[in-house]
Amino acid sequence: MPTLARHERLAGAALAALAFIIVALGFFAVIGEPPLATLLSMAEYAVGDRYSLSETLVKMTPILFCALAAIVPARLGLISVGAEGQFHVGALIGTGMMLWTQPFDGWLLLPLVLLGGAAGGALYGWLPGILRARLSVNETITTLLLNYVGVLMVSAAVYGPWKDPGNLGWPATIAFPDAAVLPQLFGTRVHAGLLLGLLLALCLHVLFRFSRWGQSLDILKGNVRVGRMMGLDYRRHVIIVMALGGALAGLAGIGETSVIQGRLQPGISVGYGLTGFLVAWLAGHNALLAIPVSFLIGGLIAAGDTLQLFNKIPASSATVLQGLMFATALAVPGLIALWRSRRG
Amino acid sequence: MPGRLIQLRGITRRFGSLVANDDVSIEIESGSCLALLGENGAGKSTLMKVLYGAIQPDSGDILIDGRQQQFRGPADAMAVGIGMVFQQFSLVPALTVRENLLLASPRAPWLQVPGAPGLDTVLEVLSRLAPDLDPRSRVADLAVGERQLIELAKVLNLDARTIILDEPTSVLTPAETQRLYGLINEMVADGKAVVMITHKLADVAACADRTAIMRRGKLIHAGPTRDMSRQQMVDSMIGAGSPASASPPPPPDRNVARVVVRELGARTETQQVQGISLEVAPGELLGIAGVVGNGQTVLAEALAGLHPLTAGDVTVDGISVAWRPTPPVPDGRVAHIPEQPMLNAVVPTLDLAANLQMRDIRRRSFWQFGRRGQADLTVRLQAADVRPPEPSRLTGTLSGGNLQKLVLGRELAGEPSLIVACYPTMGLDVAATRTVYRQLFAHLARGASIIWFSEELDDLLEYAHRIAVLRDGRIAGIRNRDQADRAGIGDLMLMHDMARSA
Amino acid sequence: MDEATLILIAGWVAAILRSATPLLFVTLGETLSQRVGIINLGIEGEMLAGACFGFAAAATTGDPLLGLIAGGAAGVVLSMVHAGLCIGLGANQFGSGLAVWMIGLGITSFYGRAFVGGQVDASGSLGGSWLGDSPVLAQLLDNLSWTALAAVLLVLLAGFLLYRTRTGLAWRTVGEAPEAARAAGLSVPRIQVSGVLLGGFLAGVGGAVLSVDYTQTWAQEMTKGRGLVAVGLVIVARWNPYLVLPTVLVFGGAEAAVTRLQAGGFVLSSHVLASLPYIIALLVVVGAYAWGRRGSGMPEGLKGVFAVRGS
Repeated sequence: MPTLARHERLAGAALAALAFIIVALGFFAVIGEPPLATLLSMAEYAVGDRYSLSETLVKMTPILFCALAAIVPARLGLISVGAEGQFHVGALIGTGMMLWTQPFDGWLLLPLVLLGGAAGGALYGWLPGILRARLSVNETITTLLLNYVGVLMVSAAVYGPWKDPGNLGWPATIAFPDAAVLPQLFGTRVHAGLLLGLLLALCLHVLFRFSRWGQSLDILKGNVRVGRMMGLDYRRHVIIVMALGGALAGLAGIGETSVIQGRLQPGISVGYGLTGFLVAWLAGHNALLAIPVSFLIGGLIAAGDTLQLFNKIPASSATVLQGLMFATALAVPGLIALWRSRRG
Repeated sequence: MPGRLIQLRGITRRFGSLVANDDVSIEIESGSCLALLGENGAGKSTLMKVLYGAIQPDSGDILIDGRQQQFRGPADAMAVGIGMVFQQFSLVPALTVRENLLLASPRAPWLQVPGAPGLDTVLEVLSRLAPDLDPRSRVADLAVGERQLIELAKVLNLDARTIILDEPTSVLTPAETQRLYGLINEMVADGKAVVMITHKLADVAACADRTAIMRRGKLIHAGPTRDMSRQQMVDSMIGAGSPASASPPPPPDRNVARVVVRELGARTETQQVQGISLEVAPGELLGIAGVVGNGQTVLAEALAGLHPLTAGDVTVDGISVAWRPTPPVPDGRVAHIPEQPMLNAVVPTLDLAANLQMRDIRRRSFWQFGRRGQADLTVRLQAADVRPPEPSRLTGTLSGGNLQKLVLGRELAGEPSLIVACYPTMGLDVAATRTVYRQLFAHLARGASIIWFSEELDDLLEYAHRIAVLRDGRIAGIRNRDQADRAGIGDLMLMHDMARSA
Repeated sequence: MDEATLILIAGWVAAILRSATPLLFVTLGETLSQRVGIINLGIEGEMLAGACFGFAAAATTGDPLLGLIAGGAAGVVLSMVHAGLCIGLGANQFGSGLAVWMIGLGITSFYGRAFVGGQVDASGSLGGSWLGDSPVLAQLLDNLSWTALAAVLLVLLAGFLLYRTRTGLAWRTVGEAPEAARAAGLSVPRIQVSGVLLGGFLAGVGGAVLSVDYTQTWAQEMTKGRGLVAVGLVIVARWNPYLVLPTVLVFGGAEAAVTRLQAGGFVLSSHVLASLPYIIALLVVVGAYAWGRRGSGMPEGLKGVFAVRGS
């Protein structure tokens, strides 16, 4: 990717936003909706009132976690697209924890469930991590393939042994008991996971910026050979960032399952993993910037749902818009570089 | 019959503030070999790239057979019979010899099934240059000298009347060099014009009937080679103050070995070394000579503890510094100055401060909230003679000389016992070269042992206390400076070729 | 070997080839794209677009051939986005591929809703009276449509073009050494764009074969990562079009074999079965790295995309 100076990056972000608005207007025109009115109602559906805002925050929560899950490996130069699978395996192991411990209903249940979620995701990040570290297998391809396996593992569990017979054939586990669920906030569906996510983003940012670990990642990302000269173990760092990223996505999975869905069932994610990857990229792999960007994308998805409800525009329009936003963001630095070289 | 073929008139080309060619006028004759002589960065390559159409001049004219030419790219130059063989070959290693020639030939047939008409015509020139070369072998598997012949065949296939060779002997064994000299003389006898960019006087003596000398972008002298003495050439090439103004301390009393290499073996996918045994005393400079690709890279990395050993050990002051699966915290005992520093020694995406302080990354406290004083860093950068000494500057923007000084500043800061230096002055200008040597010699005087890889025999003979020759991954022989001469070392480097052709 | 066994084997081969045909197109497309140095993860979206718009065209016109052409065209359109981003603007290839995938995913679920549950007629079978009365051939060809034949022929044609023509030499050079290609007077961007668009076309056709010819129906996200499986199989096939054929067939065969295990009384959850393609693809990719010396046969130009600096 072309490297840009700081002021160019700022200008680039503004330009990308503008370009995206134009592209989005074009998209609405193509599908035969009044462009400006649709865009404005989307903005309204995202943040217009208390309910819309709370729904945006609900969508934002797993996206933020999945974005962090992509950002941590990216600090080492790894392109992990495995958040979707890690999300599901996190949900799976966390739910397993709940099923296993729920007879002893007590305060320990919630931490165990969360720990299970993190551990499941970590395990599912560790696997492509070890393949990368030991055999140099490209992590992008392995994580993409593992995503499908992760989703199917959840299906196998909820259609099979974990299906609650009380559900009259609906493939889902029993509901999470209250003691295993994160508290919800302000009487909305927003839950404490959001606060945890914000805290983690902040912590990661501080770690990347101000710790020996963050500086080691910078060195290894820039030049593995030099890292070795300085006594840094690339393989160990690969495994750590992949597992840590996986743990973050796993937390997203168990949070979404326990609080929002209430039980493990198919369709717990609407592509949060891939969306998180997009957010990570848009945020330039900066953990702090991931917060506003995931808020923005969360709003886009929440508005897409509402748009389907009231304007009869399919919610998949939000997916198209996400793709277009990603493409625009990728195009802008190149366009600036092109413009710069044309000018001499 | 020599005749005027090409005239370059008043060529000027700037790169930013650097004037690479300053009003250069020169003539190239057919049936003649012109040596274009000069130090690194004198502007020789730029001038020839202008003639080859790869660089457009800011001002000046190119005349061929008296007609003015406008080259928009190499294709235009090739069309009027100008071909160039670069130092970095433009061959595709994964393709075969034949495929590489087909690629470069405008007459290559579209259908390339075995037996197709025209498939073998591209091989005709090569079969004269190198009758033994199998056109089906992959270029990646060939020796550097063989690759150069293919590159030359490519140019000759284009019916070039003018052939420009960029530092053609820098990567060749002495035997290959001799063969190339013969070839150049043949081409000249054939009536072609040959221009040889070089900084070696041996090349000039062997085949150039005319010599042009450049310094700092200007043409200093041009005329028949026989009119100049060797000393005159050196003087006009380098100007006042040659890099030889630094000299190493005398060889130490070698009773104790500080660095002991015992039966060392190591291998990569392309190179291997085995049975390497060396001892280096404190204050001793051991030079490693050899043609590139005989195992230098893997040996250097093995010595610096950066590559796993298949056998043997390396100890410094009795402590093993060999590779370990989990990298140990660096203790500053071994300094490593790798070849191609931008690729191997720094993180170009980080600033100078980060690269300068990198050695203590494992020993830092976990939290790094307070940054070290900028003033302190500026002083360290100034001490290392890095220009400009701005700690927050991006390392990727440094020039070669400043980059190498940054690496030396970092690697030599800990008073290392062993310094492994690979081609530390390659591509540097005279001033930077001098700084590098002066720093290395200072550490030598302090008692450090230095293992120095170089492909410049003359430099090795001048500075190294002993010279070991690396050939086919083994030490072919070790000579003290007082018993070593060019021919003897050359023989050691060469034997491999004689053995193979025997 | 008696005739009954032969008929059984012919049936197997036909079944494997039939189910592997879409993947054959897509893997070949990705191979060509990577041969010119461009990794295209967007191939998943391109395949999906091919399946969706190919099905739409076939269902509307009733002509399966038109469906395949429309599918190919849809693949080309999406691959143009990828080409523009990576080649025109120097964007990261993985990022751009994922953007294209997302766009394909969104657009197909947006426009494909109208066609969910629709049906098309299969394209013609290869069998027929011209076969004579060999039951083995009949078993083989009756179960195959001409798309399978086309896929096999295309693989051979691509191999021939790549290794035996000047055009192929130029493509390989661009993928191996863009600098050398430039020095040889080739236009690197133009050849790379050709490779990506051709790859997109083949992926689109592959998707259309899946929906029009194989399942004869359209469902959202019906490719289910087959395009990404293809990206993995390219590594196993060592970027060699000729090897794409055996690789895809062995992959399809392994899939079919496990499915047969179940028929033999070995009970597997349908979800485990559904995850087999990914697990098998993963295993073969890991195997290719573990035993094939890492990334062997990989075009040099790709190494910068795949590898971390200095590792």
